[in-house]
Amino acid sequence: MAAPSIGKNGSEDSSEGPNDRQIFEELRNILLGREKKEIAALRNRLENPASRTADVSAVVAEAIELRRDRGGQRELNKALTPSVEEALSESVRKDPSVLAGALFPVMGPAIRKSITESIRAMLESFNEALDHSFSLEGIRWRIESIRTGKPFAEIVLLHGLLFRVEQVFLIHKATGLVLGHCVAPRVAIQDPALVSGMLSAIQSYVRDSFQSPKEDSLDSLHVGDLEVWIEEGPQAILAAVIRGHAPASYRETLKKTIEEIHRNFGLALERFDGDSTALALADQQLSQCLESHSLPKSVTRRKPYVLILTIAAVVLFGIWVAIGLRNQIRWNRFAEALQSQPGIVVTSVEKEGGRRVVRGLRDLLASDTVSMLRSAQIDPAQVRFQWTPFYALDDEIVRRRAIETLHPEPGVTLSVRDGTLTAAGSASTDLMRRLMYQAALIPGVRKVDTSQLEEREGPEVVRLEAALRSALFTFPVGSPTPTPGEEAKFDRAAEQIKLLLAKEELPGSKLAIEVVGHTDNSGSESSNRPLSQDRSEYVTRRLIENGVAPDTLEPRGAGTSEPVEEGNSEMARRLNRSVTFSVVRSKSLLSK
Amino acid sequence: MLQKKVCMLGTFAVGKTSLVRRFVESIYSDEYHTTIGVKIDKKVIRANEREVTLVLWDIYGRDDFQSLQMDYLRGMSGYLLVADGTRRQTVEEAVSIFHQVEKVFAKVPFIFLLNKADLKDEWEVGADTAKQIGERDWTIMHSSAKTGQAVEEAFEELGRKMLS
Repeated sequence: MAAPSIGKNGSEDSSEGPNDRQIFEELRNILLGREKKEIAALRNRLENPASRTADVSAVVAEAIELRRDRGGQRELNKALTPSVEEALSESVRKDPSVLAGALFPVMGPAIRKSITESIRAMLESFNEALDHSFSLEGIRWRIESIRTGKPFAEIVLLHGLLFRVEQVFLIHKATGLVLGHCVAPRVAIQDPALVSGMLSAIQSYVRDSFQSPKEDSLDSLHVGDLEVWIEEGPQAILAAVIRGHAPASYRETLKKTIEEIHRNFGLALERFDGDSTALALADQQLSQCLESHSLPKSVTRRKPYVLILTIAAVVLFGIWVAIGLRNQIRWNRFAEALQSQPGIVVTSVEKEGGRRVVRGLRDLLASDTVSMLRSAQIDPAQVRFQWTPFYALDDEIVRRRAIETLHPEPGVTLSVRDGTLTAAGSASTDLMRRLMYQAALIPGVRKVDTSQLEEREGPEVVRLEAALRSALFTFPVGSPTPTPGEEAKFDRAAEQIKLLLAKEELPGSKLAIEVVGHTDNSGSESSNRPLSQDRSEYVTRRLIENGVAPDTLEPRGAGTSEPVEEGNSEMARRLNRSVTFSVVRSKSLLSK
Repeated sequence: MLQKKVCMLGTFAVGKTSLVRRFVESIYSDEYHTTIGVKIDKKVIRANEREVTLVLWDIYGRDDFQSLQMDYLRGMSGYLLVADGTRRQTVEEAVSIFHQVEKVFAKVPFIFLLNKADLKDEWEVGADTAKQIGERDWTIMHSSAKTGQAVEEAFEELGRKMLS
């Protein structure tokens, strides 16, 4: 830029000639020569891709770092991601083993973790599924699980998976030479160098014979209860000889170990030329793979739910005992009440098939035992009664029996004390008679006391008696046969007598109807008395003809001694020429 | 411990197995040959003042060595190439095997054993075997399974070669 301006100045001195120009050029070289070279170098650096690359390469790492420090991480990621992705996929395309080898130590643990998670979930559902299995073995294992506090799934696994790792080989993959070998105590072994070689040979054989891809490998061999588990790393193979069935988790142990060995002895493995001295330390890791599992002896740890179950069991037991106790108290009260109950004699109480059986004697009039049970809050289904019926002589039962037999009407009370039945109140003639004839026959009644009882006639009897008493048959003067027209009255009187007798009908009744004949006071007594007798007998005869039982009628001639009407008037004389009735009731039995 | 993988190569019935039988530790029967095509034996030698365990992969010789299972040879430090002196054809086959092996594994030390030295009268190859087979730098030894001739020496020589 300086040059043109100088040229410009030069043109002003164009009169100076070529020599001057040369001198000017020289001067320019002297003054600006260094800068010119630098400019050329700079141009070269800018235009030459090789040098520009070199320049950028010197700062590229720092530049990225600076950008990141200044918060450009996101932009950096955006810019670099496609290239990194492209590079990685290119690497895999070219040779997958490089990336696989690099990732091997980190991929193992990551995959393992993910698989462990899946297996854990699977085991849980497995456990759940088994929860519903009620095979005998399942129940036995479940009990064991509760007893030992171990998860059920673990118990199941333990029963299926008893094993012992007898030998572990670390084998160099390329040569088949043994790098390390560990053996469990008291295990007979063959030369590990030969066994390792043969194992490698078999690996090759299988791969070759079945044309499986190079990277695939045999991972287990089974012979009877012997298994060989093989776990392959990039440089070495781990082979474990297992007797029994190892759990799948043991595979994880092998994987971890081979990864660890590769991490710790990567270089030694890569440079292995037959000298395994550098790998002597790997034996330690190998010996960790020697596992054996036998049945667990005892487990002290207890899960909280065992405690909860125990508490629940204790509480349930407590409730059971309390209920039992309460029931016993209720029963004792009931038994006591039963024993003191009139009309009941308990002879035995036994338990049969969880039920109580009560045996004894029971009067039919004793209290209902089932309702007694109910009021004692005892389930009637829990008790069976076996009663033999009998007549109880308890006063109360005798009283009930008397009531049942005699049907006393309201107003009459019956009580029994020491076999004496006492009736009190106002009784009908009926009841009086029942008391008289039936009460003494009631079992348990030895004596009947009616002294506190008053007889109360029934209205019908009173009416009939009144009617009979007022009945009167008149006779003409001196005639033993009644006045015409009186004949019609016999029929009615006979009817009334029959009704009265029916009311009073009792065996050995002393009810009698006196048929009394009368005469007026004219004439002599010696003729009047036979006349009155004739009159009474005539009426008696007529009554008998009308259906009245003869033995209830007692004809009697009273003459003038019992006049119906006193006096000497015509009316008195007419009434006294007559026959009347009187009801005679013997009370001799009642007073007894 | 120093170990080396050594293969025994040669076509069918050249006496590879009989050759080493008396000199090696073995736990496997010959049946392995016909089943999986290889049998592993072990031979401990001293070479260069060191004890070296040679793990011998005795590979079943087939008539047609084209089908040689190269996988079995992987990682070997040396090999014994065996031919039957009484059958010239086996020598030619041994040369063919050599070329195949060299193609895959480059320079691996080996010893060429002309076997059945006890039947030298019947040999189809002469003392100038090397010239006959056109390979000058081979180490050639005449061995016999019957007398044990040159067997120990062959192992030791191979050991030295592998360690040098």
